[in-house]
Amino acid sequence: MADREPGAFDLLVERYQERAYRIAWSIVRDREDAKDCAQEAFIRLHEAAGSFAGQSKFSTWFYRILVNCCLDNRRRGRGWRRLLGWRDAADDEREDDPIERHPAPMEDPGERVDEDRQLSRLWAAVDALSPRQRAVVLLQCREGLATKEIAEVLEMSEPTVRVHLHRAFTTLRKRVGTTP
Amino acid sequence: MTGPSPSIPHPVERLLPYWRGELAAAEAAAVAAHLESCADCRATLAAFTAIAGRLERAPDPTPPVHWGAFRAELREALEARTGRRRSARSWRLGALPAALAAGLAALVLYLAIPGQNGVPNGRGPAGENAAVDNAALASQLDLITDLDVVQRLDLLEDFDVIGRLDRLEPTGKS
Repeated sequence: MADREPGAFDLLVERYQERAYRIAWSIVRDREDAKDCAQEAFIRLHEAAGSFAGQSKFSTWFYRILVNCCLDNRRRGRGWRRLLGWRDAADDEREDDPIERHPAPMEDPGERVDEDRQLSRLWAAVDALSPRQRAVVLLQCREGLATKEIAEVLEMSEPTVRVHLHRAFTTLRKRVGTTP
Repeated sequence: MTGPSPSIPHPVERLLPYWRGELAAAEAAAVAAHLESCADCRATLAAFTAIAGRLERAPDPTPPVHWGAFRAELREALEARTGRRRSARSWRLGALPAALAAGLAALVLYLAIPGQNGVPNGRGPAGENAAVDNAALASQLDLITDLDVVQRLDLLEDFDVIGRLDRLEPTGKS
């Protein structure tokens, strides 16, 4: 890609960098790891640009590369956690992993208004979801992807995405209530 | 949950796709019919859509990043990666011609020594032509940088000359 159009890759990075970082952060929940994953995704994209056959939307293809980078990162991290004696999350379905409970690095709402407190609770609840459920929720609600696109990105079937979505929203509902 | 439609069980996993308009017409109609008669599913859908709406409107919670630095780091990583690959490729591509060049140079040298291995000693026209051809070929292949020296390879008959080859005058004034 860069060999043929030197400016195209830079343009693409500028266009996707924020989304890439945001999605990466939603999965790995660490600023530096998220940056690394987003950068690695761009590098893999650069290397694999010729293999994009256009069967899916470019963004879907790129998100899939990105999510794979993030899951690779998590697998490596899990190895370290196991080595350090932490209880392993075993799988993305479990929600009691201490890593998953790590609070989002957002500002303490403190004395803020109710809306801020509710949002804070909502994000904390999202943080506590498994990475896969979190990815499904955020890809849908923040990135606006349809269920079919999420299925392509995460390489799972549409019914599986629906199950993840339903479980995630049921959990969120329990934790934050239903106040609109 | 209470009050399911007689036709389908609670379509809990299809509520959000229904709300997003992603279901096929028949499936959407079935969910709509169920919602008409099921207060629990209506409450669930209302709660889910409220949460989805809040998530959509909420400010971005990701920690800030300096995008200039992000791109600079990416560029460095990319250059490092492509540079490593290029050097590995050039080593692979470069090693073969170098080996071929060395082999060919040795062959040229060997063949050019008159009287060796049944090759004419270079005194006759055929021998002279072969030596010149070899040398010319070698020069074309950039194997020999000082053609003058090589063209006078008949001197190599003399072991004294061979012994001081490194001191041989490039212009052939040995």
